Amino acid sequence: MSTRTESSSGGADSHAGDRTLPFDLDDAAGPGLFRLLACCCILVLTASYVSVLREVTRAVGGTETLFGLVVAMLLAATVLAWAIRPRTATVLAVVGGAGGFAYYLEQSGVGVEIVLSAGDAIAADTLALVTGLPLIRMVEAGTWALAFVPAPVFLSWYLAVRGRYGLAAVPGGLALVFLVLTGDAGSTVTLIGTLAAVAAVGFGELERRGGSVAQADVLAVLFALIIVLSLTVTFVPTGPGTAGQVAGGDDGTLEGTIDYASERSGIGGSVDLSPEVRFTVESEQASYWRTGVYDRFTGDEWVRTGEHADYEGPIEEPPGDAERLEQRFTAETDLGVMPAAPQPVALEGDLAEHAEVSQQGQFHPSTPVLEGDTYLVESAILEPDSSALRTAETDYPEEIESRYLQEPEGVSSEFEARTETITEDAETPYEKAVAIEEYLRSSKEYSLEVDRPDGNVAEEFLFEMNEGYCVYFATTMAQMLRAEDVPTRYVTGYTAGQEVDDDEYVVRGTDAHAWVEVYFPDHGWVAFEPTPSGPRDDVHTDAVQQARSDGAENVDTDSSEDVPVDDEDDSEPDDGPDETPTDDPDERPDQNETEPDPTEPQDPENESEGNETEPDGPDPNEDDPGPENETVEGEDEGSDWRSTLLELATVSREVAAVGLVVLVGLAASVHRTGASGRLRRTLGCYWQRPTDDPNRDVERAYRRLERVLAREHRPRKRSESARRYLESIAAGDRDGKASDDGSSGPGDGGTEPTVESQTVDPRLEAVLERYERARYGGGVDRETADETIAIVDELTRERLPILGRGRN
Amino acid sequence: MTDASPPSSAERRTAADAPLEVSAVADLCTAIEDNVAEVIVGHEDVIEHVVIAMLGRGHVLLDDVPGVGKTMLARSIATSIDCTFSRVQFTPDLLPTDVTGVNVFNQKRREFEFQPGPVFGNVVLGDEINRAPPKTQSALLEAMEEGQVTVDGTTHDLPDPFTVIATQNAVEPNRTYDLPFAELDRFMKKLRLGYPDPEDEAELLGRAVGDHPIEHVESVTDLETIVDARETVSQIRVETPIREYVTRLAGYTREHARVGVSPRGTIALLRAAQARAAASGRDYVLPDDVRTEASVALPHRIKTTDRDRDGETVVANALERVAVE
Repeated sequence: MSTRTESSSGGADSHAGDRTLPFDLDDAAGPGLFRLLACCCILVLTASYVSVLREVTRAVGGTETLFGLVVAMLLAATVLAWAIRPRTATVLAVVGGAGGFAYYLEQSGVGVEIVLSAGDAIAADTLALVTGLPLIRMVEAGTWALAFVPAPVFLSWYLAVRGRYGLAAVPGGLALVFLVLTGDAGSTVTLIGTLAAVAAVGFGELERRGGSVAQADVLAVLFALIIVLSLTVTFVPTGPGTAGQVAGGDDGTLEGTIDYASERSGIGGSVDLSPEVRFTVESEQASYWRTGVYDRFTGDEWVRTGEHADYEGPIEEPPGDAERLEQRFTAETDLGVMPAAPQPVALEGDLAEHAEVSQQGQFHPSTPVLEGDTYLVESAILEPDSSALRTAETDYPEEIESRYLQEPEGVSSEFEARTETITEDAETPYEKAVAIEEYLRSSKEYSLEVDRPDGNVAEEFLFEMNEGYCVYFATTMAQMLRAEDVPTRYVTGYTAGQEVDDDEYVVRGTDAHAWVEVYFPDHGWVAFEPTPSGPRDDVHTDAVQQARSDGAENVDTDSSEDVPVDDEDDSEPDDGPDETPTDDPDERPDQNETEPDPTEPQDPENESEGNETEPDGPDPNEDDPGPENETVEGEDEGSDWRSTLLELATVSREVAAVGLVVLVGLAASVHRTGASGRLRRTLGCYWQRPTDDPNRDVERAYRRLERVLAREHRPRKRSESARRYLESIAAGDRDGKASDDGSSGPGDGGTEPTVESQTVDPRLEAVLERYERARYGGGVDRETADETIAIVDELTRERLPILGRGRN
Repeated sequence: MTDASPPSSAERRTAADAPLEVSAVADLCTAIEDNVAEVIVGHEDVIEHVVIAMLGRGHVLLDDVPGVGKTMLARSIATSIDCTFSRVQFTPDLLPTDVTGVNVFNQKRREFEFQPGPVFGNVVLGDEINRAPPKTQSALLEAMEEGQVTVDGTTHDLPDPFTVIATQNAVEPNRTYDLPFAELDRFMKKLRLGYPDPEDEAELLGRAVGDHPIEHVESVTDLETIVDARETVSQIRVETPIREYVTRLAGYTREHARVGVSPRGTIALLRAAQARAAASGRDYVLPDDVRTEASVALPHRIKTTDRDRDGETVVANALERVAVE
């Protein structure tokens, strides 16, 4: 019935015919355009995954080689497109991929022979990638990227040139899917790539079948589906860190910036401080409480490479002299991290079963540490003296060199030159570290209000910025030391916190921090603190005091309530960071490891600055002293409010975007199925908005009626006049009823069909008469039109599928 | 004055300006038809067609076997409107002047006087027109076309209204002169009475006993009213969709026959439709008016090559296929 309805209405409604008109014009576009579009889409698809790989090579090197490979593959594919058969091309692609890999190995001096031995490692890495290990975290990321790129680029472009767009999208799509699984391809890149792949297939089909642009609405439907699905369905595995976001770790706080994702530490712009207590520590010694260690710097963020392993007993302790320090941590809020004094070696407690060890030797919880959870950490505290460090060897193990000397591509020569200038008097790595530490402390101001620079953060901070916070100081120092070939890593965590009792410390969000660790052979990793301590303490103490005076919650623990924040400073100095070898009294204590030396009060202050950087560390309330903490709370609320607002704005924008996409997709699919016409006509049956033209209104009203009658009886024949149609329907009804009643037919009726007009429902008759007058006669006035619409409304609603069934 | 004259500017005026209300025209038609129906049993549609043709300033050709009441129909209509009625029986030896009239020398006044022929009547019945030679036929047809006759160089206007109801004998084809195609075009409609229904015929026989009912028919209107009604009819509204519909119908016949409907034919059709609209009391034409009139106003203007398909088939197909909008 519905199809008949459509065809007849289409005939009656001249607009229906117009619908295809604009699209017909597009037919002139022809297959040439589609071919071009399809090729462009393949290129976009290629660009999407190459850009992901480029992000990797930008950090670890090899961008030029990558681009060279891509261009070479494109050229080769173009040249060979018609020279070789697809089977050959596939083989070639694989060979090309292997060749690119071998080339890189040769260039890097490793030699091809290592391929065989490295095969297992690469295969393992690949396996890890598919299970969600981001490419950037892969140890051999650069090599892998170069080995990866040639095959899909060559094969997809080869097929595209041959006009096999559908097939061409397959290798590129697979490459992209792989990178999605690894978590490297961001949603935008994925979207673009996927759309390009779908569009390539679609345009290819259109070209092959000689379709018109009108049929491209299928693509629109697919696009919408893809976009919506990709925005609503997450199938990429997420790391435990994400789930472990702490309460205070919202965007905009220092902790939130530092630990915005698992295994990554971001560098943000202006940040707020959360005065909430994250955890309390019982320890005989104050220390920086480390939560994360990062080795790879992309220019934008720090990344921890390598997979975590489950904790299965004590890990290897550092080579140097070390004292054992036991600490008991109690989470005062949910934590996504597992703070510990460096270098942790053993873990006890229920949580040990749920802990992982990074390849850098840091514990991480595999499930969030819940509020109230307690764990015991045993750490090896290095206590080298500066003279020992000063004379330390520089014969670094290869493993250390390959991992901790990485710099992102494009480090300017100025950066290296400046670093050299700063360290020109220094001869040993220790002296270099001290020189850089001192330089940064003295030349840059401390501030939480900074604009996030574009480009390499270390360079920007060194050259363009006059102030920053721990993240900037630590990042810059790490990069400068690496520029001097000193293995360095970037670590995050918390400063010692407020000492509320003997050997008991309360650590808050304000204590989040970032600092650096430098490797010394035979000693291990030694902390350095590039952040100026005094200003940092002021800022952070103010934050806690503000929160206390504002009466914010969670600023204090029972034990910390009565302790003024100022004490914190005092207590911090006491907590000498164990790692830092004793500072020589002569030398600047700051140079020592980031952990505060007990002797020097300033160090601890610095450390507390460092704490700011780590939003993740959840602080239990216990330790915090009451009065000052409260003041901080107000600020916290303010920031919460802001972040909530921000969140709302973000969400609504996303929702709006998704909604728009859904609408477009729906519209296209409706158009595709021709349902729009049906829907419009169906809805139009029951609802009509008057226009300015009464005659038009009446005509439309009649058309509505006609459509309803068409469903109920039969559509009007095109050659049938309105009157004749209604009369024949009425006659049909009458005949039907007559036969139902068992009485005889209405007689011969003999002559003109018009004679039967009396049998028409008077309301139908009225509508008909007004329609005729509007269309063929002198027109109708507004009142009549409204009346007609009302009549038709009544008639159609009577005939609504459910309500009106029985009426006729 | 005839169905072939182009639409006058009067059509642009609205029916409201007409001398006679549209409803009055409808009443008039009903009155005439009822009156005629007292004489003619059945055939209401044909009666209506003839009355409408008169109001539309057209002429009617009745194509039928003898003895079905053609003459009686014409006479009763003429009587109903109280106008002059004349009848010309066409025979093979009939001369043109027998139709138009002749100049006769008046001995008393010593000059030629025009002696009007039977064509000078408001309703003229041309019986068995196809039995007269073409020359005589054309004398009548010229009068229909021009609304006047010319005898010996002098032009004499015909009365107004002037309606010809011609009949054609369809049973003796070998003793007739077929009307030239071009002249057939001048009739607004070609109708067929046909035999009455059994019921009607029974009643007919009943009436035939005693006086013939025609003797008792009285007029129900006058000439002046008819003239006014014609004026009203000419001002019936014909909107664009209708004009387009008529055009499409004509176009269809031109595509599907050797000779299709001429523009004169479409004009005649529109006029007939106007008259039908007025007869229904409407001041605007509906597609239904056009359809009803098309089946009688178009077929005789169509010439087909196919023996099985005459004009009526073509028109029926056109009505079945051409879209109404």
